[in-house]
Amino acid sequence: METTLGGKAVEIDEDGFIQDPAAWDEAVARDLALTESVENLTEEHWKVVNYLRNYYLEYNMAPMIRKLCKETGFKLKEIYDLFPSGPAKGACKVAGLPKPTGCV
Amino acid sequence: MELITVSRRQGLAFSVRLRGHEILTDMSPAEGGRDEGCNPVEMLAGTLGPCLAIMSQRFCDARGYRDGDVAVSLTAELADDPKRVMAFTVDVQLPRDVPAADREELSRMVGSFPIPATLREVPRLDVEFT
Repeated sequence: METTLGGKAVEIDEDGFIQDPAAWDEAVARDLALTESVENLTEEHWKVVNYLRNYYLEYNMAPMIRKLCKETGFKLKEIYDLFPSGPAKGACKVAGLPKPTGCV
Repeated sequence: MELITVSRRQGLAFSVRLRGHEILTDMSPAEGGRDEGCNPVEMLAGTLGPCLAIMSQRFCDARGYRDGDVAVSLTAELADDPKRVMAFTVDVQLPRDVPAADREELSRMVGSFPIPATLREVPRLDVEFT
């Protein structure tokens, strides 16, 4: 389905993940963050988002959560404090990554 | 181990009863449930957490570390084909007076804790449908 993110039309899936990674930019990220109950993206949010995005662009996959924690310096609980839906459903969505696999 | 019984409440909500305790499980609305309890995968992760917490707390109590309590944060990463848990990521917060050497010893002991050991050794699963 199509929606407006960052002032432009963007295709998203039923869970709000953008379908075309190339459509992502920081304005899109800010609007995606609102859908995750994150009103303002702080420097700490961007540290996570930028790490995820750069990792995805290099390896075409999301990093394991432990690697995300180690490389950003955030504990697991801190990641959840930043993105209440968690690193997979929350942070990856804001970073414009595809929806993670798995059932629940 | 005493018998564990699972009975339907309504929809996809099931009640798990064991030794006089009851846990309610359900699926999210997106999965056809009403989110009246944790789903089974969450319960699996929830089982790992307390096992690590209890064993770590026992370790700390035995050595007299009392500057704080053990606390655990964890999550599960999922995979498809078949749908399953592919990884658990667990942070165990120990009392502040636990020295590095004992933290390392606990790290070495984790594999011998009941739930991690079970996950590692993969028990036989024998299911019969009647």
